[in-house]
Amino acid sequence: MTEYSKLAKGSFTATNATQFVYLPFKPDFVEIWNYTNIKTAGASTVARAWWDAGLIDPVGSTNPTMLEIYDGASAVVFDTVQTNGISAFAAGLAFQYGPLQGHNLGNITEFSIATSASPTTVTTVGDHLLQSGDVIIFSNLSQTATTGMQQIAGIAFTVTVTGATTFTIPWATNGSNYTAFNTATSTGNVGTYKKVLYPYLYAPGVTVISAITNGATTTIDTTSAHNLVVGQEVAIRIPTIAGAPTVWGPTQFNSLPNNTTPGSPVYGYVIAVTDYNTVVVNINSTNYSTFNVNLPFANVPGATPAQLVAVGDVNTGGVQISAGSQLYPPPYVVPIGTTRVNSINGPAIQGAFFNNTRQGFYIGNGVAAVEGTATIMQEGDIVYWHAYFHDLALP
Amino acid sequence: MTITTTGSLGPMILQSLAPAMLYVPTPTMNYITVCDKVSMPANGGTTCRFMRPRALTPPTIQLGNSGIDPPAQVPQRDIIDAQMAFFGTGCIINEQVILQDQEGVLAWVSERLAVAMRQAEDLILRDYIVSAASQLNAGGGANGDNPTNLGLTDFSLVATTLDTNNAYKFMSGIEGMDRFGTGPVRSAYFMLTSTELQSDFDALGSNGSISFLSQWNYPTNASALPSEYGSVANIRILTSSEAPVSRGTSALGNDVYYNTVLGKQAITHINQDGFSMNLIYRDPYYSGMLAQNATLAVKFAQAQAITQDTAIRNLVSTRNSQLGV
Repeated sequence: MTEYSKLAKGSFTATNATQFVYLPFKPDFVEIWNYTNIKTAGASTVARAWWDAGLIDPVGSTNPTMLEIYDGASAVVFDTVQTNGISAFAAGLAFQYGPLQGHNLGNITEFSIATSASPTTVTTVGDHLLQSGDVIIFSNLSQTATTGMQQIAGIAFTVTVTGATTFTIPWATNGSNYTAFNTATSTGNVGTYKKVLYPYLYAPGVTVISAITNGATTTIDTTSAHNLVVGQEVAIRIPTIAGAPTVWGPTQFNSLPNNTTPGSPVYGYVIAVTDYNTVVVNINSTNYSTFNVNLPFANVPGATPAQLVAVGDVNTGGVQISAGSQLYPPPYVVPIGTTRVNSINGPAIQGAFFNNTRQGFYIGNGVAAVEGTATIMQEGDIVYWHAYFHDLALP
Repeated sequence: MTITTTGSLGPMILQSLAPAMLYVPTPTMNYITVCDKVSMPANGGTTCRFMRPRALTPPTIQLGNSGIDPPAQVPQRDIIDAQMAFFGTGCIINEQVILQDQEGVLAWVSERLAVAMRQAEDLILRDYIVSAASQLNAGGGANGDNPTNLGLTDFSLVATTLDTNNAYKFMSGIEGMDRFGTGPVRSAYFMLTSTELQSDFDALGSNGSISFLSQWNYPTNASALPSEYGSVANIRILTSSEAPVSRGTSALGNDVYYNTVLGKQAITHINQDGFSMNLIYRDPYYSGMLAQNATLAVKFAQAQAITQDTAIRNLVSTRNSQLGV
């Protein structure tokens, strides 16, 4: 019976990151052919993977992915990925999070944050399973009642993975008011982080500022992807912290009040996009105060972060065509580096507010449960996929 | 004596359907209520563009007696773009359901689809506002978190911010009347917030001339909206169970509430050529060769934009108490 079934197929060349495939439906069955490994057998590689949304492992209560692999001796065997294999997703509502990670929580047993200039390194005990571009939020970073890194708790950070147990966040924690944090030694073993499952459902938006470089033009760094484009009109908000007037510093950036034309907000325009979290704005800030994130621990309650806000644009056209792109490319987000991830939309003026909600399936980097090392794909593999949503599923 | 009971002569049909459907718990939808509404024309492309002129510098320098005109000003404007998006959902209903079920299936499924569509409109606006509006962390509460729970000073501060930004208030004030237990209501912005914070509002107390005034204590309820819980300072509070709450993400790991405070024209809802709320029924004739299945669906086009960024703030807070709900 296929009158209302949904079928889709496609292919991609694998990268190191989790591969998302956007579809007009949320599949209940997905099959993957790793053509690279089928053509050339290699030890501990996956030839075929398939997943059914209704299959629940009776022992682990997981929703596994089934595998046909070459094992360590290059013999064809069957195996499974119990977690982080193929999964369907529906990114339509904000505030969806992964499990808490902390002291004996989630897939790690501890994590620590060393003080340093930006970027700050986070070290975990156990594989953090994050990927560059993921967004996390910390909570309860009090090493003691009066020390720690509560200054960065509650802020969304994009992570850059530097190893299985290390990643960095774009924030300077070498100020005098920051103290190294470790869940293994914090009072009560407090301290957690969790992953924001679907960041950037709408773009562009508001992001927290982590650094500002003053000059004839102004360079602004943010804690997560800004998703701004050249020509974007932006407002900058530099709140004043009660009891700590030197934090965040350059209140001259604030749109209002405006002493030159009272009542009229002051905006800047993005003249260059360096990467996912850095833009250059056409504001001459040579004589402005220096941006400063050395927020005293005691002043954290009620402290509003500095923000970069998209308010408009001066563009007249859509995203330009490029090699391999559609003729009229859609608006995109840039979750990490300079890698564009297209939305599922049609073309729009660059800098327009757009909807980035989406659904489909993704392929994670979980390993074969028995064989122990094979993943569904590795960087450079040619992968073909088929996705289905069935009319009739029994029971 | 032998008594015939329902054990030996029971009813042939055991059940009868009560005459009315039970209600479906449905959140109040506040976001669409406070939006400006704009319609893009048909054949108007993918992107709705707004233009807002910039203020000219007031000429406060006297001309003097030189007879020379001052330099001209260059008028400027701000441009805001929003891309249209399309949404829809539906149900496939076998003709046997329509033929044999006792209740009017098509009627109540149509109603549920309509509500789902309106709720989607509101949720899209909600999540967009969370992503795009500037944030002001509450600091007036005493729970030691970041953000803190809401204090009276937070209401005053956010109203001060919007006033300083020359935002337009939604409501004019309500003059005091000689009625027991009532008090005048200031001209006000709206705050869109969660029902989970209602107990916090009740516990706000007073500070000088600022206190929480329940909607019940307004001099007249004529202008109160159905979801209006009360007012503090220059803010009237609309609550909904679907207001945005980020669970467990405060500095202390508590729930974070995005309380959107806004003035007129802060947020605009855009449709395209009335392409909003299309209820589509296709009878079974259009399905397979045996014409077995009808379809009922809704479809709508929607875009949204913050059209006055100076007139909106997410006053972000935690709760005074995690009890209840």
